[in-house]
Amino acid sequence: MTVLQTENLCYTYSPGMPFEHTALHDISIGFEQGELTAIIGHTGSGKSTLVQHLNGLLKPASGRVLLNGEDIWADPKNIRNIRFRVGMVFQYPEHQLFEDTVEKDIAFGPRNMGLSEEEIDQRVKEAAEFVGLSASLLKKSPFDLSGGEKRRTAIAGVMAMRPEVLILDEPTAGLDPHGRDLILEQIDRYRRKNGTTVLLVSHSMEDVARIADKVLVMQHSRVAMYDTAPRVFDRAAELEEMGLSVPAVTRIFSQLADKGIADHDAVYTLEQAEQAAVALLKEKGVTVC
Amino acid sequence: MLTDITIGQYFPAPSLLHRLDPRMKLILTVLWIAMVFVPKNWFGLLLAVAFLVLCIALSGLPGRLIFKSIRPILPLILFTSILNIFYVSGGRLLFSWWIFKVHTGGLITAAFIGIRIICLIIGSSLLTYTTSPTALTDALERLLSPLKVLHLQVHELAMMMTIALRFIPTLIEETDKIMSAQKARGADFESGGLMKRVKAMIPILIPLFVSAFRRAYELATAMECRCYQGGEGRTRMKQLHLARRDYLSLAVSLAVLALLIVMNILIDPVL
Ligand SMILES: Nc1ncnc2c1ncn2[C@@H]1O[C@H](COP(=O)(O)OP(=O)(O)OP(=O)(O)O)[C@@H](O)[C@H]1O
Ligand SMILES: [Mg+2]
Repeated sequence: MTVLQTENLCYTYSPGMPFEHTALHDISIGFEQGELTAIIGHTGSGKSTLVQHLNGLLKPASGRVLLNGEDIWADPKNIRNIRFRVGMVFQYPEHQLFEDTVEKDIAFGPRNMGLSEEEIDQRVKEAAEFVGLSASLLKKSPFDLSGGEKRRTAIAGVMAMRPEVLILDEPTAGLDPHGRDLILEQIDRYRRKNGTTVLLVSHSMEDVARIADKVLVMQHSRVAMYDTAPRVFDRAAELEEMGLSVPAVTRIFSQLADKGIADHDAVYTLEQAEQAAVALLKEKGVTVC
Repeated sequence: MLTDITIGQYFPAPSLLHRLDPRMKLILTVLWIAMVFVPKNWFGLLLAVAFLVLCIALSGLPGRLIFKSIRPILPLILFTSILNIFYVSGGRLLFSWWIFKVHTGGLITAAFIGIRIICLIIGSSLLTYTTSPTALTDALERLLSPLKVLHLQVHELAMMMTIALRFIPTLIEETDKIMSAQKARGADFESGGLMKRVKAMIPILIPLFVSAFRRAYELATAMECRCYQGGEGRTRMKQLHLARRDYLSLAVSLAVLALLIVMNILIDPVL
């Protein structure tokens, strides 16, 4: 079932000004219930602009955004409700923290929804647990946390609204490998448990290959590709032409295939690479322990 | 959106006005203020307006931009004009109702002052539209440098201005981002009474202050890392040179000003 859909979406920044810029050009796509879609593209290709349309932070110049088949701008007064249903975590979300305790900051969204105190309390606990914030951290000031903890606090603040669709704009930017793995894992676990549809803007092909069902490639304000992850990564040459890369292991195996050493089919993650390498070595008669 | 604010914004274009020396443009702006206030009759004002139109044409900026610069102060102009209409007596009485009396003198004064304010704003926004903030503060520093004998820290002042101007767009952008982020969490800035609206600003102001201080520290560190130590013995990468066009524009402006003064002597004032 298609949860979120855009129809001929167009958007221009500063129309009529000398630095007018068309950031979205005739975008028509749909996102399926429960799927995790990664949005990739060169810097400035319009990824952030696109996702900000999906929860009504930007209003389309023309075209529509449909949530469960209904135009989100049908009643502009209702747009706040749409924002609770389509949760959005911005790039560097830790810059939006403001409350004096982590707990209160996570509760900001749910409180705006007008929930009861018990409900808020329960949601805060649940969201904090999802992103791995211990109970002792909840009472601390968000400004005393480490970068990664701040980031996870901000993500929890949006998860606590229990949105139907969760959008994250580069949630792993500027984190160390461990912090990156942790956040991706938590997002993946969260959506499997709640059946949430997730959109993830990312620059890291390794991240994308690991958790995405589908990949949306943006280029020059348009959709260049939109397909399942394996099929998008199969078009490595085109991706590279756009200045994007495929995961490093995919490149290695496709070069091995070019040399006739291996027949590469669908090697995108380290785990798959390991299996394929072991199989290959066995085939050549090397014992692997 | 907040980013639509254009006051004090620079619009690069390859025009004559853009190429003028920023020091000369500052001087010309001061001259322009004189040109707006000297005329005491319609012909003089008309000449000043014509001069302004010429400058707009030479700036190569779209008309819409010019209008945008006066839009924010339009209510102020209307307000002063209305006050003038009712307060200034003199001339024929046109109509009166209760305590309100409108004289021709009032109408003329209102129109005259309204046009003056509009000309003033457009003229000074031409300066900021055609001059980059760094060029502007640089010019200001040069023009004020004689004040160094009075132990005024001209360089430090100019540096502070440069930094402040440089960070206005950054802060606006930052505010925009934080507002979006809080809106995404259901913050509501548009409804409710005064107290509620003031309270709604807290989730914006706190992150904004935090980031402004962070930026300030980062900038200070970065400047110290590059051994910045104030204006003493500092040389410049961009040297300013007055060209023929600068002297020419000064000559034209002075001529117009002189003409306006002559017109004042020859023609009866309307005010
Ligand atoms: N507020 C704005 N005003 C004017 N132009 C903007 C604004 N925000 C973005 N743009 C322009 O729109 C284009 C698309 O921007 P967008 O932020 O959507 O890119 P992006 O794909 O998210 O890039 P990145 O990977 O760097 O985050 C860019 O060329 C950018 O310069
Ligand atoms: Mg972006």
